[in-house]
Amino acid sequence: MDNITALIFGYNKYASEIIANVEDKYDEVRLFSLELETTPSKNDERYTIEYFDLSDSWHNVQEHIDTKHSIAFCVLEDTAENIFLTISLRAHFKDLTIIAIASDKESANKLKMAGANKVIPLVETTSDIITNMLEKPISNKVLHSILYEESALKIAQIKISAESHFNNELLSSIDWSRYNGIIVLSVMHSNMKSDFIYSSSMKEHIIKPGDILVVVGYDHDIQEFEKKIGSKRYVNWSHWSW
Amino acid sequence: MLKRLILDFAYYLQTSQSYQAKKKFFYNLLENDNCPYKKYVDMAMMTLIFVSVAVLIREVKFHVGDYMLFFSNYIISFVFFVEYMLRLWVNSSVSEIIVARAEHDTFLLRDVNLVKAFKIVLQLKLKYMFSLQALIDLFAILPFFHELRLLRIFILFRVFKLFRYAKSFQTLSSVLATKKFEFFTLAIFASIVIFVSSVLIYVMEGNNANSPIHTLFDAIYWSVVTISTVGYGDVTAVTQEGRFVAMLVIMAGIAVLAFTTSLFVSAFTEKLQEIKEMKIIEDVSKLKNFYLICGYERVAKEVSSKLAHRGKRIIVLDADEKRVEQAQKDGFIALHYNPGSVDSYKKLNIDINTQVKAILCLREDDVENVYAALTIRSLNKDVFILSLLMNDANRKKLTFAGINKTVYPQELVGLITKELVGKPVAFEVIHELRSENSPVMVDEIGITSRIVENFLTVKDLDNTDYKIVLLGVYKQKDDRFYFNPLDSTFIEAGDYLLVIGYKNFIKEFEQYLHTKVKHG
Repeated sequence: MDNITALIFGYNKYASEIIANVEDKYDEVRLFSLELETTPSKNDERYTIEYFDLSDSWHNVQEHIDTKHSIAFCVLEDTAENIFLTISLRAHFKDLTIIAIASDKESANKLKMAGANKVIPLVETTSDIITNMLEKPISNKVLHSILYEESALKIAQIKISAESHFNNELLSSIDWSRYNGIIVLSVMHSNMKSDFIYSSSMKEHIIKPGDILVVVGYDHDIQEFEKKIGSKRYVNWSHWSW
Repeated sequence: MLKRLILDFAYYLQTSQSYQAKKKFFYNLLENDNCPYKKYVDMAMMTLIFVSVAVLIREVKFHVGDYMLFFSNYIISFVFFVEYMLRLWVNSSVSEIIVARAEHDTFLLRDVNLVKAFKIVLQLKLKYMFSLQALIDLFAILPFFHELRLLRIFILFRVFKLFRYAKSFQTLSSVLATKKFEFFTLAIFASIVIFVSSVLIYVMEGNNANSPIHTLFDAIYWSVVTISTVGYGDVTAVTQEGRFVAMLVIMAGIAVLAFTTSLFVSAFTEKLQEIKEMKIIEDVSKLKNFYLICGYERVAKEVSSKLAHRGKRIIVLDADEKRVEQAQKDGFIALHYNPGSVDSYKKLNIDINTQVKAILCLREDDVENVYAALTIRSLNKDVFILSLLMNDANRKKLTFAGINKTVYPQELVGLITKELVGKPVAFEVIHELRSENSPVMVDEIGITSRIVENFLTVKDLDNTDYKIVLLGVYKQKDDRFYFNPLDSTFIEAGDYLLVIGYKNFIKEFEQYLHTKVKHG
């Protein structure tokens, strides 16, 4: 059986941070560098860094990898090379989830065009964080702690199963306050787009199996909620749309 | 005995808070451009000047009422006299000089030499009194003695007083002062040309009956009119020799005129940037509640634009001229000052405590950010400093330099990927809430005592009527966030509501909280 692998292209500080945050979620992590004989830093000594070039030979990568459930991180510091790498990966692996970093909006757009599923625009993200820290310090702190699990509060996505008693119910008719301890923020429905719970498009929405609820709450409350509605937490990149 | 009395009085004045406060008040009113009331005093004085000049002009051909003459000659003169005395008073501190001398002599176990102290006082006061501006002030008072007809012309000195009040005049004189030597050379050259040509024309034409030049004064008048290229034509050379001299003077005149024009132009060109900068600094010193951004690179550019979009004031400091130019092109107030130099902040003339909301060290270089932060901390211990961190190994150094908050982009990438991998939908939801371009946003609503009067508990808020999700209440006094609070939770002044909803609905909800009519 093929491994679910995290492929990281480019070995730098971004790569090290990514390894630290995702290694427990994948069967294996493979590091690639454009430079021959790159030595890993002390924290990443357990990994060997493989050499790759920007030619189209991906046989080495392809072997024993479940590309449908694996993920590739393109973190080359040279924007042009990063775009070229993304386009090359997409051309060969149709189902592979590709996350790339971009220094600015222009290269972010190009990376999306090249086939990246998600682009992290570094400058924009950093400046967003700084601006929110300054102008909305409380909400920034709360959202940060929820998102990055620095507090007991969690954010979860719950998929409505076929057995859920919410099925075929009008979203706006549900009294969410009955479910103490959790707040439903949005719903991702069949068109693969998430909508705010109070948006006008959600008013007439009838819940169907496969809809994903994004909820915030304490872990035990989320578990209770899952039990009550008869659905489970859900993660699947294939549902992701841009 | 007298010495003792003088010393006691000097010490009393030096330590008297009310005396020092009064002196400072008048100093600010007359001399401190940053004092908000100075401009009103200046405007009042300028009005008085124009009134007295108007009276002088009117008086030439028409009768001016006695009350107006009284106002111009006595009241205005008295106001100017008071102003003159106040300026003389605040110009230097007599008590400070006496106390300093007394301390000095006592320390050296000598008898206090008051004569020396008074000598210094006299020198300082005389120096001020003989300064050009003080002399103009003094002459402006002289029309008080209007019975001496000649002294009435001193009313014109009041016009010169305008130099003191109008900043642009001061700028003009400071610009011209930079070319003092060149103007002096020009004056010497013009004087020599005028002198030689006057003598020559007088010699050539003085004895000619047809020539209008009869006296040396006529010759000088002709020379000045010709050299300035004005050439009225009322006095002209009639002899051939005279006309030859005229040709030479005309050529010299062109040279003098060209030289003068180029001097003015070069003086202004050289000083233009400085003048602009001075104007910016003056404007900055009046600003309140602004963000000071040290370094203008990619992140700084984006942060500035986001903050400006939210209506926040930004001042950019950067040691690199090109980056400053870029910031100016982007529409921000940017100054070519090194954020790592104490001098920069002194020149800026800002009070970090009262004017600056936060300082952002956004150079993409830890060394530069640490340097700037240390400089700021040496000036102010309390201001909030946020900095970019480019290398995690330097985190401790930044904290040690007094930076309150660091933002490490690499770490952000790590955290984002973790969430993206685990909860992509949830991540995107939170990301959308934080983004400025999204219609749905998370916002903080501060609770005032007025709101508390109308809304006692969470239940009273009726946020769902506005399609707003109440994520929680932040209690400032406990520094605690209460997620999804119960309906019975009390709301207190100083709390913050964290709400999620459409921008417009949040605005309406906020208005509703502030305007609801009191119960009962």
